[in-house]
Amino acid sequence: MNKNRSNLPQKQNFGKKQAVQGIKKSPAYLLPFCLLLPAVSVIILLYIQPFLASFWGSFFTRRGEFGLQNYKLVLDRYLIDVYFTFAVTIFSTVVATILSILLGVYLRLSQGWVHKIVSILYRLPIFLPFVVVAQMMRSFLAPHGILNLLLAHFNLINIERPLQLFNWIGLSFGFVWKEAPFMVLLIVGGFQMIDDSYIEAAKSVGANLYQIITRVLIPMNKQTILVAVTLVFCSLVGCFSFPYMLIGGKTPSTITIDIAHRVTYFRDYGVANALGVFSYLMVSILAVYYVLNMRKGLYD
Amino acid sequence: MIKEARIKTNQSILKKTVELILFIIFLFILFAPIFSILIWSIAIRWYWPNTFPQQIGFDYWLQALGIIKSLTLGAVNVLPAFWLSLGIAIVVVVISMLLAIPAGYALSKLKIPHFLKGIILILFLLPRAFPQQPVFLNLMLLFNKVGLNGTVTGVILVHIVVGLVYAVWITTSTFNSIPPELEEAGRSMGATRWKAFSRITLPLATPGLIASAVFVFLQSMFEFTGTFFVGLPFITTLPMTLYSASGSNIQFASVIAILLLIPSIVFMIVIQRLLKAEYIGGISG
Repeated sequence: MNKNRSNLPQKQNFGKKQAVQGIKKSPAYLLPFCLLLPAVSVIILLYIQPFLASFWGSFFTRRGEFGLQNYKLVLDRYLIDVYFTFAVTIFSTVVATILSILLGVYLRLSQGWVHKIVSILYRLPIFLPFVVVAQMMRSFLAPHGILNLLLAHFNLINIERPLQLFNWIGLSFGFVWKEAPFMVLLIVGGFQMIDDSYIEAAKSVGANLYQIITRVLIPMNKQTILVAVTLVFCSLVGCFSFPYMLIGGKTPSTITIDIAHRVTYFRDYGVANALGVFSYLMVSILAVYYVLNMRKGLYD
Repeated sequence: MIKEARIKTNQSILKKTVELILFIIFLFILFAPIFSILIWSIAIRWYWPNTFPQQIGFDYWLQALGIIKSLTLGAVNVLPAFWLSLGIAIVVVVISMLLAIPAGYALSKLKIPHFLKGIILILFLLPRAFPQQPVFLNLMLLFNKVGLNGTVTGVILVHIVVGLVYAVWITTSTFNSIPPELEEAGRSMGATRWKAFSRITLPLATPGLIASAVFVFLQSMFEFTGTFFVGLPFITTLPMTLYSASGSNIQFASVIAILLLIPSIVFMIVIQRLLKAEYIGGISG
């Protein structure tokens, strides 16, 4: 510190003189707090406060009574939707995980021009927003959509009775379409870290492809796969725009759709918050795992 | 020997065929949904149950972009929504980065008591782990009390919450990737902390910081849930316009969807040059 102080006069003409002197005069141990304070206060005020308010608000009915009435109403009327959300999310996450591991293995082990094209193209959906995915799926999966028209064109279905896909099937299709590539990105990164020598060693003792996948690649990449599964599961439970645009107004629907209905049609924030707490509970185990795991990673 | 060799070539032909069939299925699943908004955006007349439209043209594009006057039912001029989204996104990027760069630097390079650092990291990880919709709902109630609901300021604040979390995270890992010895060397030569930061660390961190800014920009352009609660019906950003067009006019909705598709593809190309894979890992999803 002393060394710096002696240099102070030399940099009087430096651009941010004021700021520098401000920082200089404060004891060094205060600097990190000054730098962190603005960002942390924004998060506390605009995220943590409403996050906690959603628990608190779930105990108040529309008429201001305190109690568990909102939860009772959720269990009476929306339990099917809670199950539906859980089932669709689990199903989509499992399908996306299996597909992404398979594609990841393919990208890790194969070569050639097909491999090269796939390794670039699969990234396409990763950064698309769910609103755009929603519009794509609406026009692709509709009764009069491209999928049904093509299937009818090749006489695979009767166009008078098109496939009805604005339900859990379409929802899962969109979820997997958007999230599997993201999982591939993470998983391939992990697979790439595994040295060729492990795979060669497994081959030399007579392991077939299945054994290489289940005994070498997946176990050595367990952490990454778990993080990918967690991220996808948590973001699908909370996904609002895509379900709302695809199956909004239908039954069964997702928790996020119910929350929006409770707010826009009834101004019933208590029940909406209780539904929100259900979605928190749904992700809680994985969310805690994720937070602890990532925090550990960020310490280094 | 010859027989064995033939079996081997047969196997490799079989392998190639399977690979090719799976490749075609992959291409269909990947591109058919994208193709369907492209074709809907130029379909002027498309009577069921024809496989392809009877008449195509760019009429809906011209109407949506305000180049020709629109008489169609459910028509929207997307330009005001686009400018609004762009303006909001620029403000959000500037504020988020001004908040995130000091915070990321402190988290990465400065000494913070262990327990406090743990709490702060948890604060910035929670929004990524838990569903955000109930939070936005309560933010709406808070904004109702202070008169920020349905205002551009309110929407900007929501987008900052969404963007800041990612920004802090990416800037922290960017600063982490710069060896501390460089700044220490600079300071041992007599540079102040500010000088060492601005002349050594900041230039090295620039690619990561740009990537972070671009990502915050996209998050703001694409934000749906928060704007739905805090902004609607007064603040119609591009995703909100897409949402309302989606129910009434499929051609306009497709045009807006393509307009939103372009920046994310550009970003995908840019980010691969700027960012290492391990950062990208934390971002999307």
